Amino acid sequence: MAPKYKLVYYDSKGRGELARLLFAAAEVEYEDYRFKEEDWPKLKGDTPFGQVPVLEVDGKPLAQSNAIARYLAREFGLAGKTAWDQAQVDMIVETMQDMGNPVIPIFMCKNEEEKAKLTKTYAEETLPRYMEALQKILVANTEGKGFFVGDEMTLADLALFASFDWFEAGAKNPLEKFPKLQEFKDRIASCPKIAAWLEKRPKTEF
Amino acid sequence: MAHKYKLIYFDRRGRGEVARLLFAAAGVEYEDFRFKKEEWPKYKGTTPFGQCPVLEVDGKPLTQSNAIVRHLAREFGLAGKTAWDQAQVDMILETMQDIANPISVICLCKDEEEKHALKATYEEETLPRYLEAVQKILAANKDGKGFLVGDEMTVADLSLFWTLDCIPVMVKNPTAKFPKLQEFRDRIAAVPNIAAWLEKLPKTADWDNSNVEHNP
Repeated sequence: MAPKYKLVYYDSKGRGELARLLFAAAEVEYEDYRFKEEDWPKLKGDTPFGQVPVLEVDGKPLAQSNAIARYLAREFGLAGKTAWDQAQVDMIVETMQDMGNPVIPIFMCKNEEEKAKLTKTYAEETLPRYMEALQKILVANTEGKGFFVGDEMTLADLALFASFDWFEAGAKNPLEKFPKLQEFKDRIASCPKIAAWLEKRPKTEF
Repeated sequence: MAHKYKLIYFDRRGRGEVARLLFAAAGVEYEDFRFKKEEWPKYKGTTPFGQCPVLEVDGKPLTQSNAIVRHLAREFGLAGKTAWDQAQVDMILETMQDIANPISVICLCKDEEEKHALKATYEEETLPRYLEAVQKILAANKDGKGFLVGDEMTVADLSLFWTLDCIPVMVKNPTAKFPKLQEFRDRIAAVPNIAAWLEKLPKTADWDNSNVEHNP
């Protein structure tokens, strides 16, 4: 019998969206449980580490957004076809952390001058360095007209797709100089199952 | 035919050590290639993302320490026995990041007042919350007398073992209030393959600020 899935997260994209994209890509039903911020203190103590998202599978909890994403990807056949492909997919998903982490200090920075400096470094050095490397990987695989690893969509493609919004919170138009990545983004967005999800998902700022 | 492995990293433990512990636990041979900090600019451009560690498997590169660790764990049967066990192992690996990453952030913080505040939060709230949760997971499995997941060692155990060694640079005696974690740490250190590695591993300085220089 099919497992019963429940994803517990805020009513936002954030660290919950990658799991939602996986459910959409695999067309697997789940309960998309979104709580209000004021309800968090009540729920916090029930989670394994005092954090969300949490995925419940037949009532058993799994925490940590990337552990959830990798688990679902493996269950749905979206993790990569061979052990080596899975490792390459994993490498790309990990890179999203490195690309996204600088956004947090930029957001939290109260000093305008410092914030401008951090944003400049992020937009002109950090992010382009990674974008360049990612575009290279994409182009090396079917000339950049397909996916990052192998010849079918994997978690790697969805992880990058889910991260673009986050990067833009730290740097304007990050894909301006990376046309193949822009095409990639548009291509994923227009995959029927993804497009359907983008259409119906609750519209939230983050 | 067995794969030819080469691990490329600085001459320190840092983000290379869990991979090295995996090779030790599995008894698998590999080239433990270590370069000096000043040699890094030479290697940086040859890596997929300008970062290390890099694992070469039969000459093909794989980067990102956690991707390397998960790949080796799967190859060596140390990733967890079932899909759900693997997910639980993975959850613990991610949590080790949540425990270790703030240490780097605090080390790099230039503002003394902010640094002090961050350290206080880490010591009084963040770290105890995680250690409590991890000890709970351990205690729920064979009463805390075995491993974190299942009944055999997995990469989750090696990662926790290593992380417990990293914390003292920021917070002394982290397991003082978590006796089961201290027993766990000692138990892993006594596993023959691990004890042998601990004996022979090069004694290097760790957790100086340069530990994070390959992060943006």
